Amino acid sequence: MNRNSPVAITGIGCLSAAGMSLKENMTFLFSGKRHASPPERFTSSHPLHYPVFEILKDSFPGNNPEYKDILRTCRLGLAAANEALQDAGLVPEGITGLKVGVCIGTTVGSTMTDEEFYRNFRSGLRPDMRMIERFLRSNPASVIAREFAFKGPSQTVVNACSSGTDAIGIGTSWIRSGMCDIVIAGGADELCRVTYNGFISLMITDDSPCRPFDRDRKGLNLGEGAAILILESDRVLRNREKPARAFVLGYGSACDGYHLTAPSPEGKGLRNALTDALLESGKTAGDIAFINAHGTATKDNDRTEAMVLREILPGVPFFSTKGYTGHTLGAAGAIEAAFTVACLESGMIPANAGFSEPDPELGVSPVKDITGISGKVALSDSLAFGGYNAALVLGLERG
Amino acid sequence: MDINEELKKIIVKELFLEDITWNEIDDDAPLFGEGLGLDSLDAVELVVIIQKYFNVEIKDMDEGRIAFQSINSLASFIKERQSS
Amino acid sequence: MNMRIYINGIGVVGGFGSGVKALLTCLEKGAAPLKGHDTGYGPAFLADTAPLDAFVQKRSLRRIDHFSQMAILGAYLALQDAGMHSLNGKGTGLVVCSGYGASHTTFSFLDSIINDGDACASPTLFSNSVQNSAAGHISILLELAGPCLTVSQFEMSVPSALLSACLWLNENRVDQVLFGAVDEYSDVLYYCLQRFFGKNVNGIITPLSTDMQSAIPGEGSAFFLLSNERTDSSKYGSIIDVQTGRLDDKGISSSEGSIFILGADGHKNCDRLYGDFIPPGAEAACYSPIYGSLPIGPAFDLVIAAISMREGKVFASPESVTDQEKYKIVRETSRVTPKSIRCVKLAKEDEFGIITLAYG
Repeated sequence: MNRNSPVAITGIGCLSAAGMSLKENMTFLFSGKRHASPPERFTSSHPLHYPVFEILKDSFPGNNPEYKDILRTCRLGLAAANEALQDAGLVPEGITGLKVGVCIGTTVGSTMTDEEFYRNFRSGLRPDMRMIERFLRSNPASVIAREFAFKGPSQTVVNACSSGTDAIGIGTSWIRSGMCDIVIAGGADELCRVTYNGFISLMITDDSPCRPFDRDRKGLNLGEGAAILILESDRVLRNREKPARAFVLGYGSACDGYHLTAPSPEGKGLRNALTDALLESGKTAGDIAFINAHGTATKDNDRTEAMVLREILPGVPFFSTKGYTGHTLGAAGAIEAAFTVACLESGMIPANAGFSEPDPELGVSPVKDITGISGKVALSDSLAFGGYNAALVLGLERG
Repeated sequence: MDINEELKKIIVKELFLEDITWNEIDDDAPLFGEGLGLDSLDAVELVVIIQKYFNVEIKDMDEGRIAFQSINSLASFIKERQSS
Repeated sequence: MNMRIYINGIGVVGGFGSGVKALLTCLEKGAAPLKGHDTGYGPAFLADTAPLDAFVQKRSLRRIDHFSQMAILGAYLALQDAGMHSLNGKGTGLVVCSGYGASHTTFSFLDSIINDGDACASPTLFSNSVQNSAAGHISILLELAGPCLTVSQFEMSVPSALLSACLWLNENRVDQVLFGAVDEYSDVLYYCLQRFFGKNVNGIITPLSTDMQSAIPGEGSAFFLLSNERTDSSKYGSIIDVQTGRLDDKGISSSEGSIFILGADGHKNCDRLYGDFIPPGAEAACYSPIYGSLPIGPAFDLVIAAISMREGKVFASPESVTDQEKYKIVRETSRVTPKSIRCVKLAKEDEFGIITLAYG
């Protein structure tokens, strides 16, 4: 199996607070606007209100009444999958004869945290079991496979904040090995009260809109969304004479082995992940047009990440898009991979929303304005709790 | 029970310090790094513990860093906040 | 897809005790069903992590919950079984899977919110409830530096995650993979089981019964040290195929010289599926009455398959496994090394997982 062979991306779907399709998202990113506000769909008794990036629109494919029996995370994933399949020119009924796998990253989407159920359980009341039934029906990868009658492997990746990046990386292995002809790969996560309280308790959230890589950054804002990339084998692609939108050229994954919630101060794992992704892609730092950074706006993440990017990819422009979408956890890596492809296609990268003052400790700053780029290869990276690090090298061409 | 003793007992219990008893904790010893050897996750847990047991809020880790230097500094911080 | 992945060490923890020897003792005793420990809801197969003291200082375990401790113990036992004290950090991948994750800690986190309000949510409990915490702890303790993956796929967690582990080896992403599965007991899950299906009044699991629900919760972990090259420790056979997805009408093909281990564990709606898909006349064993009903059951089946290969024996199924008309349940332990053992797990909506272990 050749780890170095590029894997075609033939369709992309994306939803976030910045837009209900990839096109809408990109328009928003280049508008320089951002909408962060306290959560509307749930309340919290915290004295401070921490802004989130919430999808307030009720109507999106997958959020119609017939899907009420699955969790919101799955409905977001379905919406992105629908857009991606359409973008790829694939009709699900037309590909059921192929080996189609589904690999989706998530965090909230696989946790049994129904608060109402648990409160009733604790009080000795007889809780409504439909909430549990809904949870048992809501494994994100299984939901997509079931919806479109795909028969290949299903895998829900729960690598915390790098899940989306890892799901795409795993999907490329499935294609390269010949195990799958097509992989629906990406991530999905919904905003949820339990996660909101959890991140606030870690004191890494900002009570104003987040400021990735800024000197005065105080922490992250949570967001929700989903993105799906259709990965396709060369054999299938040749048969249907459809050009690929882009290619996954390389994937790297490595752990810090340092701490459950803080990244290794030397960025050990991130270094390894970036190096491995570049090696697999056959590209060097000089080939990389830009980096879509993880940039959560926490003190620790941005410090570690900036240090490593500065050393491994010196002079390469970078930016975080979390100022537009919030930190979408399991969906983040996939949403950012989608943005990376779209930026390569348009030859432009957005400003790093929320950044104004350089941090002397970082030694580098992200792009402050919309910037033209001419290269055809870019990199997207993610860092996660547990000390996980992952990176994708994406390119418009095969070589 | 004086506040230092109370703090030590709470810390041993809530941070699962099974290999030490509360009366072995020195009032002036550093809580983080050397001394008790707590880390950044313990620090944010301590913020919640102080809120829960003493109803005192620590707004950010700049405040926390000063308060958490030792049992004595934490006790002073709490007493000061509770009286204001 | 061609693969040959060697199993070089196994660590296993469950209601039967800890270590391969404890599980082998149960198999050799004639596989008598284990008596469950008593919890507030009834018997369950609970795991004891006290043996972890031999590997890790208590201080290092202080914030680590039972779920992660079972995983850590499984990992250390696998290393010990392979005759290793440490791993090549960069060249080792870590893949962990779980059906329900650290559910007890997740509910404890909710307790902290419900008891004392949103502002008193416990960050330690939150961090440990994150799905990849067990793998995170293992990577820290074993000083790993390679790729890490945690998978959550209910009953298909084991075949799905193992597939990715094997592909990593096949593509030489890493030299070895520490692959493991872990699930824990929780009162909430037991409550849900009883709300859906009622209480198990007999106190034993009777798998493959089409009309009786008999699942009894189990917990534990099973870890494997895998490589794509044979080593001196490769005594458990090799994995030559992993399949998972949705079954088509053709069902599961028969294979000469192959024995099935069925992942039926007393959930009648799933147990009855085996009758539809196992080929007529096949030889099949089922061992869930030894370790309990839990989504990662296939990992224990793989351990038993591996022990069979090592010992050159096929072990009798526990007596409580229901006889089948269409295929034959293994009732006697025999000194036969099967050509291959196929561990099959079936779940709702035609989901399936098959792990094939071959001799050599």
